[in-house]
Amino acid sequence: MLGMLKGLMTTMQSHFRKPVTIQYPDERPDLPPRYAGFPGLIWDANVGEPFCTGCQVCARFCPTQCIYVTMKDNPKVGDGTSKRRKIVDEFELNVSCCTQCAVCVEVCNFDAIEMTHTFEMASYSREQVMNLQDMLSMKEKGGP
Amino acid sequence: MPEWVESIIRVAIAIGFVLTTVLVLIWLERKVIGHIQQRLGPMRTGFHGFLQSPADAVKLLVKEDIIPAAADRWAFQLAPALVFVPIFLTVVSIPFTRTLVVRNLDLGLFYVFAISSISIVGIVMAGWASGNKYALLGSVRAGAQMVSYEIPLVFSILGVAMVAGSLNLETIVDAQRGLWYIVLQPVGMFIFLVASLAELNRTPFDIPVAESEVVGGPYVEYSGIRWGVFFLSEYANTFIISALAAVVFLAGWRGPLLPGWLWFLIKTYAIILIIFWFRATLPRLRIDQLMTFAWKLLLPLAFVNLLITGLYLVYDWPRWILFVASVAVLAVASRLVYVVGRA
Amino acid sequence: MAESRLETVDMFINMGPQHPSTHGVFRMVLTIDGEQIVDMKPHIGYLHRGVEKLAEGLRYREVTVLLDRTDYLAALNNELPYVMALEKLLDVKVPERAEYIRVLVCELNRIASHLMFYGAFGADAGATTPFMYAFRDREEIQHFFEAVTGGRLMHNYFRVGGVRYDLPEDWRERLTKLIPHLRKGIVDCERLLSDNEIFLNRTIGVGQISAADAIDYGLTGPNLRACGVRLDLRRDQPYSVYPKLEFDVPTRSRGDCYDRYLLRVEEMRQSLRIVEQCLEQMPDGPSLGEVPRVIRPKEGEVYVGTENPRGEYGIYLVSRGGDYPYRVKVRAPSFCNLMALNEMMRGCYIADCVLILGSIDIVLGEVDR
Repeated sequence: MLGMLKGLMTTMQSHFRKPVTIQYPDERPDLPPRYAGFPGLIWDANVGEPFCTGCQVCARFCPTQCIYVTMKDNPKVGDGTSKRRKIVDEFELNVSCCTQCAVCVEVCNFDAIEMTHTFEMASYSREQVMNLQDMLSMKEKGGP
Repeated sequence: MPEWVESIIRVAIAIGFVLTTVLVLIWLERKVIGHIQQRLGPMRTGFHGFLQSPADAVKLLVKEDIIPAAADRWAFQLAPALVFVPIFLTVVSIPFTRTLVVRNLDLGLFYVFAISSISIVGIVMAGWASGNKYALLGSVRAGAQMVSYEIPLVFSILGVAMVAGSLNLETIVDAQRGLWYIVLQPVGMFIFLVASLAELNRTPFDIPVAESEVVGGPYVEYSGIRWGVFFLSEYANTFIISALAAVVFLAGWRGPLLPGWLWFLIKTYAIILIIFWFRATLPRLRIDQLMTFAWKLLLPLAFVNLLITGLYLVYDWPRWILFVASVAVLAVASRLVYVVGRA
Repeated sequence: MAESRLETVDMFINMGPQHPSTHGVFRMVLTIDGEQIVDMKPHIGYLHRGVEKLAEGLRYREVTVLLDRTDYLAALNNELPYVMALEKLLDVKVPERAEYIRVLVCELNRIASHLMFYGAFGADAGATTPFMYAFRDREEIQHFFEAVTGGRLMHNYFRVGGVRYDLPEDWRERLTKLIPHLRKGIVDCERLLSDNEIFLNRTIGVGQISAADAIDYGLTGPNLRACGVRLDLRRDQPYSVYPKLEFDVPTRSRGDCYDRYLLRVEEMRQSLRIVEQCLEQMPDGPSLGEVPRVIRPKEGEVYVGTENPRGEYGIYLVSRGGDYPYRVKVRAPSFCNLMALNEMMRGCYIADCVLILGSIDIVLGEVDR
């Protein structure tokens, strides 16, 4: 009986403690800076283009092969505004198989990709999941 | 107004009251257990989730009613009604106050237990008719458990009937003028609460519906409103048992200052909250331990209680002797359990 | 039993793969006589993803991502033997700070894993609140992990020669807040279950296994120590900075469900001690050593076993040169511990069977890999 009473007292005490949960959509979770959501490219505000040169190292190292990148000649090289000769043309992330492992961030030679804080990926269809990358708008870095 | 119209209205009011109570109870349980676990419980529908249970009820109503191919169709469909009806029949004789009662029966106490025993048949039937092995296991457990616990339950209440000299619930309440029977019959109260927990299939005796073992037991194949009826009757039963305990041991509507019906509700809800509190704290017994507990502890204890009460009546002892003797019996019994349990 | 003219047959019942208390997708075919279990056949493989084979197609750097997903409740503890094995092959020195960080997060992860066990075990026993208490405290650990590694369950944090990031700037404040919280949480957990008579009745003497049998079956970790065998790789094959840290290896004698439960609660306390010592002794310095940019180990093979929350988690790594590992064999503790299940379960009740499975504390991701 005593052990049971001890348990009952414990639950009674915790009944008067403050709840630890948050009301999610109203209150947002407090994410630390390193929080790894989906990877996203970073925007070079000094030049007005992404840092990414489309070198495909992330696509090669991705354990689930969910990144697709193509490269093109940088049009801004001609007028001297940019030093990047090649620049990313298309960057696609298959959100439905990305595991947020951050290997792409680690292998990137240009520090052009980082883990965003995007974590809400619930959607009604597979197509919508593929389109979620619209949410991953490029984060600006640098700038005047 | 002819008498039969009045009776129908009274019954309708009683059933409506119980249905609303069930909705409140479901919400209350989720809130209480939520706060015990340092959560908030339902918060989204209405003020602090107050409309959660009506919303759930609507959801259950519009849900597809699936009858498994292996099920015995008729028994499967009949079972919820068989659980539901007896529980509502018992409401008829429970006095909320002296006037707020559908029909005060001379054999009220007897009637309540006689009728509520029928619901066991419904549960066993549900499990059998589902054509599912988990349901079968659950219903076998339910049958064993509920039949066994019926006996100590009835014996525990017999002591009260002896002291009050009546089976009429109103007379029993009147007899508690000045002294509640929880003082005269603490052993009876203890046995009643424990046995009714088992009767209600609630923690720590939720063996028939054990989620982690038999996945909901007899109700595993039920969905939609048929399942909802089982759920509803479980909570209605919780309310009725608590109300009965309030009437029999805590003097029902008797109390100073506040109106009678309020006293009745306060006492009933106090017992309900204790049941919820147990639910949030205790783990589940095993079936063999459960049976041992019923037959080797509760039943002998009930007999001893009857014996002492009988001696008290025959030799016309003063009341405090009955109280002291009962407490002593409880103490000895718990000590005995401790010693035997350790060995 | 007396002669009965009633003919009875044993019933087969399928527990799992979809059953609330098989801890994932484990399936047991139980032969039951009423409530008692006559025979039990475990079926595994429902979560088989071929981690070991997949690892052969990944570069060395990427394999940790997969190993996170074997024992997903103690991901950091799985990465540790792999990076240690790779460091042995590559002859890489690990800076001391990195070693301390590794031990720190591994021990926190051990607490998180044991808390998960506590919650699930309580739920198996039929109590609802332990699960919530356990998650309340585990959540705090995961917040810390989020700040350190960026992930909650899948960290991908350990690297050859160190760890990926150094600890965040506010780690001391976070940890000093976390430790008392956990200490209080463990007390709560203990008070709720450890003395509860119903719980004692349910667990004492249930699923007992003798020390000799446990060794024969190859049990490791808490399951073995609950039988009274004092084997803990952290102490007996010291690795990382464990020799510099002070901790006890608790053991129990009976080897039943209750002992396994109590042992894990005690281990949480010991892990907390280690975490505290790490907090005090954390040296300065780099968190990642000198590592070649391209990881291409020489030919060779190496086995490293470390103490996972569930037992000895070993990695057998074979390299034939080149960018890809030739073979990554995982010695999964849950898989080996599961082998003793039949021995423990014989003649028990259905209700016990759930508890016994819970007390072994398996993670199906690691059993099936």
